[in-house]
Amino acid sequence: MRLRLKGGRVLDPANGENAVARDVEILDGRIVAATNETADQEYTLNGDIVMAGGIDLHSHIAGGKMNLARLLMQEDRRAYPEMRGAFCGCGGGRAVPTAHVTGCRYAELGYTTVFEPAMLGANARGAHLEMADIPNLDTGAYLVLGNDDYILRLIAAGAPQAQINAYVGWMIEATQAFAIKIVNPGGINAFKFNARKLDLDEANPYYEVTPRQVLLTLIRAVTELGVPHPIHLHGCNLGVPGNDDTTLATILATEGRRLHLTHLQFHSYGTEGDRKFSSGAARIAELVNASPNISVDVGQVMFGQTVTSSADYMSQYRNRGLASPKKSIGMDIELDAACGVVPFEYRDKSFVNALQWAIGLELFLLVEDPWRIFLTTDHPNGAPFTTYPHLIRLLMDRDFRNAQLATLNKAAQQHTMLAGITREYSLAEIAILTRAAPARILGLKDKGHLAPGGVGDVVVYKDDADREAMFSKARYVFKNGRLIVKEGEIVDLVAGTTHVLRPDYDRSVEADITRWFDEAVGLKAKHFRVADGELRGGAGPTILKCEGAA
Amino acid sequence: MANTGKHIVEDVVCGFCGLGCDDLKVEVEGREIRPAGSVCPEAAKLLWRMDVADPLFSRLGSPCSAQEAFDEARVILNAARTPLFAGLGTDVAGGQALLDLAGGTGGVFDHAASIGLFRNFTATQRTGWLATTLAEVRNRCDVLLVVGSDPTPNFGRLFERLFPDSPLFAGEQRKVIFLGGTPGARASGQLARAEVSSLPATDLPEALVALTALVGGRTLAGNSFGGVPLADLAAVAAALSAARYAVVTWNGAELGNGDLVAERATALVDTLNITTRAGVFPLGGRDNIIGLNQLMLWRLGYPLRTAIRGGASEHDPALYATAQALKDADVLVWVSAFRPEPPPPFEGKTIVIGHAETVFDKAPDVFIPVGTPGIDHAGTVFRMDSIVSLPLGALRVATLPSVAEAVRRIAGGVA
Repeated sequence: MRLRLKGGRVLDPANGENAVARDVEILDGRIVAATNETADQEYTLNGDIVMAGGIDLHSHIAGGKMNLARLLMQEDRRAYPEMRGAFCGCGGGRAVPTAHVTGCRYAELGYTTVFEPAMLGANARGAHLEMADIPNLDTGAYLVLGNDDYILRLIAAGAPQAQINAYVGWMIEATQAFAIKIVNPGGINAFKFNARKLDLDEANPYYEVTPRQVLLTLIRAVTELGVPHPIHLHGCNLGVPGNDDTTLATILATEGRRLHLTHLQFHSYGTEGDRKFSSGAARIAELVNASPNISVDVGQVMFGQTVTSSADYMSQYRNRGLASPKKSIGMDIELDAACGVVPFEYRDKSFVNALQWAIGLELFLLVEDPWRIFLTTDHPNGAPFTTYPHLIRLLMDRDFRNAQLATLNKAAQQHTMLAGITREYSLAEIAILTRAAPARILGLKDKGHLAPGGVGDVVVYKDDADREAMFSKARYVFKNGRLIVKEGEIVDLVAGTTHVLRPDYDRSVEADITRWFDEAVGLKAKHFRVADGELRGGAGPTILKCEGAA
Repeated sequence: MANTGKHIVEDVVCGFCGLGCDDLKVEVEGREIRPAGSVCPEAAKLLWRMDVADPLFSRLGSPCSAQEAFDEARVILNAARTPLFAGLGTDVAGGQALLDLAGGTGGVFDHAASIGLFRNFTATQRTGWLATTLAEVRNRCDVLLVVGSDPTPNFGRLFERLFPDSPLFAGEQRKVIFLGGTPGARASGQLARAEVSSLPATDLPEALVALTALVGGRTLAGNSFGGVPLADLAAVAAALSAARYAVVTWNGAELGNGDLVAERATALVDTLNITTRAGVFPLGGRDNIIGLNQLMLWRLGYPLRTAIRGGASEHDPALYATAQALKDADVLVWVSAFRPEPPPPFEGKTIVIGHAETVFDKAPDVFIPVGTPGIDHAGTVFRMDSIVSLPLGALRVATLPSVAEAVRRIAGGVA
């Protein structure tokens, strides 16, 4: 099956192409060099913009906490009924859409790969079952580690790094994960021992291990195992004014080792001003700019109703008084981690919410290297992913941004430097943020670009000065060379794949892990383990092997 | 399954009660299966298999071929206006196939064990709650409050699982307080090392409200609340407040006022968490009800008791409960693969996708016998906490279809 996209302008920053007029050809699902062969299907693009399929490296799309959010926020489901169209987009919802709606809405925006950033080991099987039901997207999941009693016990006992590495390797394999996430390092665990906060150098009340130790131990583990994506860190003190200092200290703690700071916006709050809440974005962006080992995603806040859902039960418990509507769920989970679900309405007339919005945009505009910053709303925590087109316009259109700013809480306007920032993102930079850079930082060599050998995930956008309109409805989306979106409408549902990582690790660790599961967890390690055949309805995962120094 | 001689299979996963035990030992000999260790009475009964012939597929009690049964089921469903898919005792794959089928036929979805689940949802959906899971209770809980009667008859190894020899953090002096119940012999045996007490009660919600007030530091006027003397309640409140990790558990299905118990227990745990740590640990989860509920939430955005029609779905916990939905349905599809549970009395057409040993008062229009997940075929079930799910394996060669296979065969011709 040969497919030709004729006469488009190719925006492929991974290969240095900035609106290059050329054809794109896909043969049996893969991009190939242009030929003169007769194509089975040909699309004439008349100068439309052609990009690789979008890749979201941080969006909560599956797992137990999302179902808890769905259960708690039936209002969201009722307000957003089924999608119309000939294809089953069953379910609905906006802040916590169902599996089908997630796959369909992402596809309409031109995304073809999305990573769930907080899979708990205890919930891995369920998360994979749910991901298998998401059509039109390839997926993958980051395993939450660093609050599990197994690793804290090892660190507290001064176990050799090799033993930690073996455990991390075993866990990645057993849970079919793609990378390691740390959420509030050691803090979720400390909350189980009734600690209400845990700063970077504060000791866990039971293990006497600090977040810094957890972070550095796991950074070393993924480095030595050869995990392509650096530690994906949701840092200490989420949402707490003054956490900008913690964030700066965390960056410095890496001493040049790679680290990805996720939803940085929620970790960039100062305590200046009469309301003791201010933007720390400038200080943080400055240090990020000076630290080539650091990458970040923003977790932009957008106004409206959402439901926040996080493994950070310590922080979510602290925030549950702010729930709107007034209800929330928390759960300690399996000597592993936890979760907290808190409905939230970000209001443009609220000082704090308006400043959060501005802080996120400041970060986007002050961090200089588009290869080290990623476009996220931490869906659904800052906002649903369906707000991405609006966010893109805010980044690309200064007048639009300032007009929006002018409608917000007046005091918040006084507390942000946003109005004075002249930067506007270019289309090429948006393509970096949403395609080329995520593929690179995830180690996905055949994604995020349009060179021969790349997967046939290709998106065509009609060039439009209104960038929100342009990115809201892709003209065409091809998944592995199959047309799934036409003129912004879903025309087909295809099964995606799930990316997993296979590190080499010392398998002698299994005996101790088996004993731990038997005695402490009360579940067999072999039943905790998720088999390849359990993924994607028996199709199994797409495996990326990594060979480290372990 | 090459081994046909008598052999022992270790670490069998059990999908019946929702507690998710995965260390069962069974003896398998050809088609015979006998429990051999770590098996509770309920699982022993449900695992036991003799080498007997499978029941025949049937129409109105008359044997027919499998294909005729699938065809007849399809004809009935194609003509149905308001089918009800109930029972739903199946693994996740069976649930997925049923939802796929209902995408075409429409229908109401409810599970046979949903009464307890929906009693709990009154609390989960109105206020939310602070909960915990089995491994946390097992290792952290130093004071456990059991509300209502001893849950052991329904969850045979509950206290064995929650009270291991060496918990990581709970210490030596673990307290278990039964409020409104007393532990039976089996529970007492499993709780041998714990400090166990029982308080009779006449009104559990009232007693829980009083406990919450006492934990919150309020002084109560009165001699007793919910039939429990104030002094006893004060002692329980003191124990809960002093706990490092208190847990409140109940089985909503067994309590007539389970919705109120769930709400009051939630409030008690909320109050405890102001100063110490605590969680609710609601019991339930029979026959993979949680797996079906999870599946519906991620597929449809609604829990059980949801109707699909015209490509859209609608949730109503009263209208779409089995007992009520039966009044409006013209076809009942009864699914029960874990146990031989016959369908409820129903005047309309009935299709049973059921356990081989199901005994009927009245022959259904179609009977499609199916294998049991975890015995005849592999499958996935969720544990009661909705977080952990488990892989069931096959213990013998399947001679009957799974629910998923049967439903796909029926769906083969659905318009």
